[in-house]
Amino acid sequence: MSAVYNTETGCRQACTIVQMDRVQVVAHKTRQRNGYYAVQVGSGWKHPSNVTRSELGHYAGHGVSPKRHLVEFKVRDERGLLGIGQMIGAGWFQEGQYIDVRANSRGMGFAGGMKRHGFKGQGASHGVSLTHRSMGSSGQSQGGGSRVLPGKKMPGRMGGHQVTTQNVKVVKVDEEKGIVVLNGCIPGPDGCLVKLSDAIKKPWPEIPMVTSDAQAVAEPLKETT
Amino acid sequence: MNHWAQLRNCSREEDKNIPPTPSARNKFPTPLIDWTAQHLKDIDPTGSRTRLFAKDNKDAPQPGDILLVTFKTGDPFSGVCLSIRRRGVDTGILLRNRLMMTGVEMWVKIYSPNVTAIEVVKRAEKRARRARLYYMRKPKHDRGSVEGEVEEYLKRRRLIRSGALGIKDPTMSTKRPESSRSGVKAR
Repeated sequence: MSAVYNTETGCRQACTIVQMDRVQVVAHKTRQRNGYYAVQVGSGWKHPSNVTRSELGHYAGHGVSPKRHLVEFKVRDERGLLGIGQMIGAGWFQEGQYIDVRANSRGMGFAGGMKRHGFKGQGASHGVSLTHRSMGSSGQSQGGGSRVLPGKKMPGRMGGHQVTTQNVKVVKVDEEKGIVVLNGCIPGPDGCLVKLSDAIKKPWPEIPMVTSDAQAVAEPLKETT
Repeated sequence: MNHWAQLRNCSREEDKNIPPTPSARNKFPTPLIDWTAQHLKDIDPTGSRTRLFAKDNKDAPQPGDILLVTFKTGDPFSGVCLSIRRRGVDTGILLRNRLMMTGVEMWVKIYSPNVTAIEVVKRAEKRARRARLYYMRKPKHDRGSVEGEVEEYLKRRRLIRSGALGIKDPTMSTKRPESSRSGVKAR
């Protein structure tokens, strides 16, 4: 994370810096074969000796090198399917555009009730013995079912799951270095994989639609009985 | 040979030979440092602020010096520098002063466009033996108000700027005496 200063207003905006590394379209998912439309995108590179034969065949079948990360981006219809093998750089995003950012959040490990669910704990003094941060009661007695109800909030593993931050503004874009500077903070620790997609709650950016050469397959009309 | 044996025996060397695409990450492995350098060109175009706080500048402000900061609105704030927090674009200094018997501390981001000038009013006689001088918050080590030193400095500055003292150096801050930097080379 860093900051951007506005020289006219003197305002400081915290920002996160994200770098795109060899992002390439690997495959398509179509309604005919998979039941939905999506673009499978790969990032980075993996040595072929560390890739299984099945995966090697998958990449070779589409004419791309093996990828470190593979991710799908769902699209509305076949017009959103980019050309296979197309490189996506930082220039894909425009400055001032809004995007949704998905990443696995920082793992907090086995977290207690106060951290995980915001329990208030007990007092720090006044005779409280050995139970300053504990859960307290976990439910009623006989009248509440004689058991702990399923879904009771308790300590446990926290973090390390996918989190989406919506409407993140793109502050700057550096095509040559593959850098995208985003306003504010995004989920995940330093160096984690981050998925950027157009914000669904904002109007689409004004760019020409880049589509693949695949023609739209018209589904034959089915008889309704 | 049956179908599966044939599959096992074929090497599919061509699958392993698709070359990787050129990598921006390998070419520019330090995006944060690159971004800092690029943004500093916009907010510190002459490089003077960076030079003032550069670690290799022996006349740079040190913790313990009294600094005077002037903001874009014209308001000044002066105080003892308790700490220099180095974070690239977010580098800041902590200044402590006593205004009307109340201790006031202020973090100043040196690269903020609101900060027009940072001047060294008075250097510490002896180099402080630590980087964070939080002990100066205690009454025993509290320097108190720095208004006296700032008044003297402003008087001297006025005289120099009017040319009365005949000193030509526009920066007018005296070089740091070698004694107050004793032990630096030992670091």
